[in-house]
Amino acid sequence: MGIIRMLEGNEAAAWGAKLARAEVVPAYPITPQTELISTIASFIANGEMKAQYIKVEGEHTAMAAAIGASAAGARVFTASASQGIVFMEEALWMPPGMRLPIVMCMVNRAMAPIGGLRPDHNDSLLQRDTGWIQFYCENSQEILDTVIQAYKVGEDKRVYLPVAVCYDGYFASATATPTSIPDQKEVDDYLPPYKHEMYNLMPGEFRTIRGFPQNIAKARYEVQKATEKAKGVIEEVDKSYGEIFGRYYDGALEEYACDGIEAVFMTMGSMTGTARDVIDEIQAEGKKVGLIKMRCFRPFPTEELRKLAKKYKVIGIVDRNTSYGSASGSGIVAMEVARALYSLDDRPLLLNFHVGLGGSDVTMRQIRYIADKVLDAYQTGKAEDETDWVELKDLGEVM
Amino acid sequence: MEVNKLFDEYYEKSLFQGGSTCCPGCGGPMFWRMALEAIGSNSIIYGDGPCAGCAIRNIKLPTFGIHFSFAADGATGIVAALNAKGRNDVTVISAAGDGATGDISFGKISAAAERNENMIQICIDNEAYMNTGIQKSGLTPYGAWTTTTPQGKEAPKKRIPMIIAQHRVPYVATISVAYPRDLKAKITKAKSISGFKYLHTVMPCPTGWRFDPAKSVEVVRLGVETWAWPLYEVENGVLRLTLKPKQRPIEDYLKAQARFRHLNKEQIDYVQQEVNNERQRLLDFDGKSVIT
Amino acid sequence: MSQIVRAFQPEVDQNTCIKCGNCQTYCPEGTVMLTEEGVVFDYRYCKGCGVCANECPVKAIKMRREE
Repeated sequence: MGIIRMLEGNEAAAWGAKLARAEVVPAYPITPQTELISTIASFIANGEMKAQYIKVEGEHTAMAAAIGASAAGARVFTASASQGIVFMEEALWMPPGMRLPIVMCMVNRAMAPIGGLRPDHNDSLLQRDTGWIQFYCENSQEILDTVIQAYKVGEDKRVYLPVAVCYDGYFASATATPTSIPDQKEVDDYLPPYKHEMYNLMPGEFRTIRGFPQNIAKARYEVQKATEKAKGVIEEVDKSYGEIFGRYYDGALEEYACDGIEAVFMTMGSMTGTARDVIDEIQAEGKKVGLIKMRCFRPFPTEELRKLAKKYKVIGIVDRNTSYGSASGSGIVAMEVARALYSLDDRPLLLNFHVGLGGSDVTMRQIRYIADKVLDAYQTGKAEDETDWVELKDLGEVM
Repeated sequence: MEVNKLFDEYYEKSLFQGGSTCCPGCGGPMFWRMALEAIGSNSIIYGDGPCAGCAIRNIKLPTFGIHFSFAADGATGIVAALNAKGRNDVTVISAAGDGATGDISFGKISAAAERNENMIQICIDNEAYMNTGIQKSGLTPYGAWTTTTPQGKEAPKKRIPMIIAQHRVPYVATISVAYPRDLKAKITKAKSISGFKYLHTVMPCPTGWRFDPAKSVEVVRLGVETWAWPLYEVENGVLRLTLKPKQRPIEDYLKAQARFRHLNKEQIDYVQQEVNNERQRLLDFDGKSVIT
Repeated sequence: MSQIVRAFQPEVDQNTCIKCGNCQTYCPEGTVMLTEEGVVFDYRYCKGCGVCANECPVKAIKMRREE
């Protein structure tokens, strides 16, 4: 049996790394991730955690050291945010191709300029093409659980891919919520020590997958196949984790209060918590709008989404990011959803909302507005705006 | 065939497989053949990037590398993993070219030195970006022609060994493939020391320095004899010249390479003056601490 | 292993050779060996750079143009 503590998101992530027995932690501080690595540093100083903490001189080196350590047989944990993630981008492309199951927390923060220290999702979404698996978490409990699950998924020999556990800076990283901390013994049983079947850098036992492939397309397709396989593994891990620790996250997509409902909107990250409250309120008022939470953005849950799309007439996608000059001015998630659903004969109507850019608060009022727009579209059968910058609308008093 | 069998047996035992993809007369495989005898089989070689990497592919030890902008950092991870596993017996070698060491990964090597990571960092210096087609690097010497300095480089070469020595690491040394015994002795010494060890070797490049491949060793020997490439070590901050050859005029070294062909009398005199100053400085500090 | 293309190949005059081993030490690829019977070359991997001939103190190695 675990104990319950009030943990901030960053502390929860540190607990996850500790429970997973990460052996090497190369990290460089950046707001809003700093509390995570200082918590790990104090775990190590207290003797609660046995890990090599490398105090590197930049994020580029942090990821490079992570790659070296992972290939040399150590379980690796690291974390970064915003400019730091983008600074290490050159290195971020390496672990998927090298098939190294590094786990990294991406504590979302807006990119400069016209940003701040607060969160939007552009920093991690920018890495969507690199091959990293990406989870987006809502609160401390989910962060802790997802870090442990991330190792289980990434180190699965059908997958062998790095995993990013993303959560919003401040709203998730610095907000303390009651968090159940699993028992170390149970985590140990659930997550056996890391052993990579493709790598061994020890002299006399050398094994590697590096080199120049004869057929580059085929080598890349291997990575693509691994991401496809990861979908099944994510479902499996969610189930097996739930059986032991009692918490399920419905794999890649979670439906919230969607029974008998045909109009929904989809959120990612910390705003989901606000959205749940709004949904409870408006359903009590008789408005029939439901919520989908996208938990796993990479691999993109195409099949699951298509299955859901058959039930819904309208899907509103709430994007906490911008892609300047994109198709229809859409956010990144909306573009992916549109591609996934395009091949269906009977497609739902898609709406796209930009909220919380540069870390501005996503208010209940804004979510209500989104729900109303979705309902309008459901009733009229057409969308007023393809892409709606909600924050530019005068919604009256802020709630 | 009898001879083939003899060589096959030799390759079997050797840590370096002949037939690398390097140019004829390249100092890279020459360096690794000599170095590996001292490095020994219980080692991991980290490093990548074009010219230095060509030879690394033929090393029969665990090798790992990312890209040439990743000098020393991946090795830091490997050292950490070894520490986590309690494997203190394995030597970690991190190799990089002059472009990585002097330019793009300069900060990484400085940081690894500051953290005093337990590894041997080797700069295999051919004094330009050779694999991409001879472009100037921070370690290209004054006056040298490259495709990006068609009239000769204006600035002098960065003095990396001395810069690393100022990090107060336990061991820094310069080596040359023309002096294999000195080279092996310094690697053996570096292996016996714990912490960050930095070795800087010259890697003669017939293609980029523009001389007959047969003169590869001759040219770098001239480098040592003219004091363009002094051989020294800095142990715990104390400098020691490991070879004090009778000084030959720098012109002998410059004339041997077509990359210096365009230098006029004035420029050669300038180079000679620089070399003289450096030689005097080294002789003054011989046996003394260089840490400022 | 593909065939190495080279213009010259080394040849040794065993009578002049003093068996100092310089050729073996400095050969970049390790394709020269000093044996009891004298110096031998591995022509499978030799690139014909000529370092061995240049380093020979008694000029016992000559580079011959390959046909």
